[in-house]
Order: sequence, then C-alpha cells, then structure tokens
Amino acid sequence: MKATRGLLALTGIGFGLWGLWLMRDFTSSQLVSMATFLAGGVILHDAILAPVTVGLGVLAARLLPSHFRAAAAGAFLIWATLTVAFFNVLSGKGGKPDNSTVLHRPYALSWLVLTGVLIGVMVVAARRRRRHLRAVADLPSS
Amino acid sequence: MRLPRVEDIEKRLPTPEDFTSRARGTELTARVGTALGITFGICFLTGMWSHFQYDPPGWLPIGPQPTQLYRVTQGLHVMSGMAAIPLLLVKLWGVYPRLFILPPKKLSRAFVVDVLEKASIGVLVAAGIFQLASGALNIAQWYPWAFSFRRTHEAVAWVAIGALLVHIAVKLPIIRTALGADLEDRDDDHHDSTDDDDEQHGPTRRSVLLGASAASGLAVLLTAGQTVPFLRKISVFGVRDGDGPEDLPINRTARAARTDKTALDPNFRLEVMVGGATMAFSREQLMALPQRTHRLPIACVEGWSRSALWTGVSVCDLIELAGGNPDSDVKVRSLQTKGGFGTSDLPANFVRDHRTLLALELNGEALTLDHGYPCRIIAPNRPGVLQTKWVRQLEVKA
Repeated sequence: MKATRGLLALTGIGFGLWGLWLMRDFTSSQLVSMATFLAGGVILHDAILAPVTVGLGVLAARLLPSHFRAAAAGAFLIWATLTVAFFNVLSGKGGKPDNSTVLHRPYALSWLVLTGVLIGVMVVAARRRRRHLRAVADLPSS
Repeated sequence: MRLPRVEDIEKRLPTPEDFTSRARGTELTARVGTALGITFGICFLTGMWSHFQYDPPGWLPIGPQPTQLYRVTQGLHVMSGMAAIPLLLVKLWGVYPRLFILPPKKLSRAFVVDVLEKASIGVLVAAGIFQLASGALNIAQWYPWAFSFRRTHEAVAWVAIGALLVHIAVKLPIIRTALGADLEDRDDDHHDSTDDDDEQHGPTRRSVLLGASAASGLAVLLTAGQTVPFLRKISVFGVRDGDGPEDLPINRTARAARTDKTALDPNFRLEVMVGGATMAFSREQLMALPQRTHRLPIACVEGWSRSALWTGVSVCDLIELAGGNPDSDVKVRSLQTKGGFGTSDLPANFVRDHRTLLALELNGEALTLDHGYPCRIIAPNRPGVLQTKWVRQLEVKA
C-alpha cells in the first residue's frame, strides 16, 4: 500500500505541475481572472453556502417538530444541490439574443414545480413518520 | 481599542465538535467521495479526449468511425459534470467541520504536514469547484471571465485531478477502512445517544447518501435530454431541447458570424483549390452534382447533440471532379469574419469517407442561413465547431 500511495502522490504532483505548465503563456489579466474564479468558488462555498446551510440546520432542529426533521433535511439536500446545479440556466444570463434555440425553456417555472414537488414529498414523508412514531409510542413498553 | 489577538479570534471560531449532525462521518464521506471521484475521472478522460478530437495528435489518427463517438464522449463529459455538482456539495458538507481544525501551535513536523495537507485540499476544492462552475456556465454560453475557457478548463483539469490523486494517496488507509465499515457505524460516538433528539429524528447517513444519489441522478435526468433523444421532454433544465429551424438547434447565428449578407450574395461561388487551379461552383451547380444523403449527428463540445438527415455533395466526389486526389487533407474556409473556428482542417481520413458532405439540405429542406447556407461541412464523429458553416473555399493540400 505504501508503494501505491507513493505512486499516486507522485503522479498527482506531476499532473498538477503539467497543469501549471499549460498556464505558462496565459496573460496576466487571464491569470487574475482565473485566480478570482478559483478563490471565489471556495469563498462562495466556505463563507456563504456552507454557513447558511449549517444555520438552517440549527434553526430546523429547534423549530421543526421532530417528525419533520429527517424529511426536511432530505428535501433541502435535493432542492439546494439541484438549485446550484441548475444555476446556469436559472440565472437568466448566458445565451445570445439572436439565438432562440438556446435557453428557451421556462426554467423558473420548472424550478417552482420542482420546489413544490419536493415540499409535497416532504410533507407526505413527515406524516408517515409521525404515524410511525405514534404507533411506536402506543406499543406497550417492554 | 485594541486589535483582536489570534486567541480572541480562535475563541470565536467554531470547533469541529460544534457540528453535531450524526449524519456526518468518514463512512459517508468515503462513499460520496468515491462516487465523486468516478465522475471526475470520467470528466477528465472524456475532456482530454475532446481536446484530441479538436487537434488530433499525430500518434492518434482519429477518423470518421465510430460515427457517434464524439457525441457519446462529450455527452458523457457534461452528464458526469452535472452528476458531480450535488455530490461535491454533499461531500463538502460532510467534511466542513474539518475546516475548523486548527494546525498544531508549534512549528514542528506535524505543523508542516498539516499545512501541506490543508494546502493540497485547498487546491483540490478550488480546482474542483472551478471546473464544475466554469463548465456549467460554458454550456449555457455565459462567459463572465477574461480567460480562454478551453485552455483554462484544460489546465485546471490537470491541477484538479493531480490534487485528487494526492488526496487519495493521503487518505487511502482511511478510505479503505471507511468503505469496509457499515455506513451507520459510529466509533466516534462520545455522547449518550439513548435520549438524544438528533439521534432519533435527524437525518441518517443512509438518508443523506440516498438524497445525494437522487439529486445526482436528477441533475443528469433533467438536463441530459439535450443529447439523449428520449429524455428531451423530461429534461426541463437542459440548455437546449433539440428544437430549432429544420428541427436542429443552432450554436452561432449568421448574424453573430457576420455572414448574414455575404452568404445571401447571388454571386456566391464555392472555390475548390487543387494545386494552382481553382474551380468555382454556384449553389445551383452544386445542386446539379450527384447528391448523397446521410444521417449524421451534430455533436457540440457543450454536450448537446442531435442527429439529422443531411443531403449534399460528398467532399471526395467534389475533389475528384476538380482534379484532386481525395486522399488529401483539405483546408475549409468560411465566409465567417467574426468569432473562432472560421477555418477547419479536414484530415484525409475524413475526406475519403463519402459521408463527409458539403451539405446543401437539412432534413429535406434547403439549409437555412443560420445552419450554414449556402453550403456547409458535415462529417461523422467531429466536434460541432469543426463542422464549418457558410463554406466559401476548400483547399486541397498537396
């Protein structure tokens, strides 16, 4: 395993250096733009998206009835990750005004439908959970 | 007022123990990470393949067979990138508390190792997010940056995969243990869980894994219709739905390429250059030549593709007619005066294939202006940008 790990690490370092070598003739404005996006993605996630997610989790744990919590967490996971994944079409940016074959779907409407479906699934799952919890509570304790 | 000291800031930062969700754990991280690693691997291989298809290296003569190859590899590239977005977010959620592990206080070997490992993870996260974000924006033709997408996406891909390999090397023993353990295993449990509210009602690792898989699958399903025909109606978040004039989407319009006037010039003549001689053909003369019809896909680097029925003159027939050897490389020049890919090189192995057409009709109708009127190249297994539109000249190389 030691040899495998060493080989992996060396290959990885080689790949990384090759990537840097491919940037050797980038202009300084290209490099600045690239660095901005590299750092921007990390900051956007680590300083905004992740703390907001953690904060929502804390709020949910305090405010939501217990039978709702797992369902809400699942629905939020799917909703939030898909909203990020589809941000490219939801933003309203991109495409060209003279090309109607690109970005011509009602994305905001689809997103509202997706949100509604996930809320519906969450409510159904939470109700089933409550019925389950009641059934367990009604059992004579052993 | 005094400036806060390092200790004051440290006191305000959360510690890993402040994150209490029992759903986090190496057993989950390793599983999501493995799936994420596979999607990154597919992206890397298909991405490098795409660069080969743009500029075939001498040692790898890429030809017109298999017809659908680029369509499949590039469709897969974008699909696995979409699949990776939810997986990356869940993976980062799982390890977020580790961001707050402070390095050892004293400058020691442990300190150096810790800083190096954090740096390699920083590179991996930055490059990973960069690749997925720049790819997602590129397929929506949204370019809010000053770098060349193609070259930067390639260079950062090497950095991302390099950092990923280093990460796997560092974590390999932990990964193997975690993958071998049951998903809900909890050896780090240091609190009494019998009456723990979170233990009973919060999400489980299994549910997070299930949710991540569902989100990843949906991210693919709801966009893949731009290349998988039977998903067209389902993929409501796809950039394209396959519709367009003559039932085919457009990437660059005639107006954007500044060909909207020159292409409609009644005096248009296609030039075929062989040696020093040039033969000129009007569109009517091209229509009068023997026509061939083939079903071929347009497969774009942006991950969309669609098959269509193309009719026109085989490039090899045309070259023979002009007295050239159809076993030659051909330089294709467009009327296009704005934007990249105004010329393309058609290697001899494509020229030899009679399915490589100078197309005049699309799905049974005359080409529309935006599809490349008066004539365009369509060849099997080529990236879309090399299917040059508004062709004005074919130069047969010696």
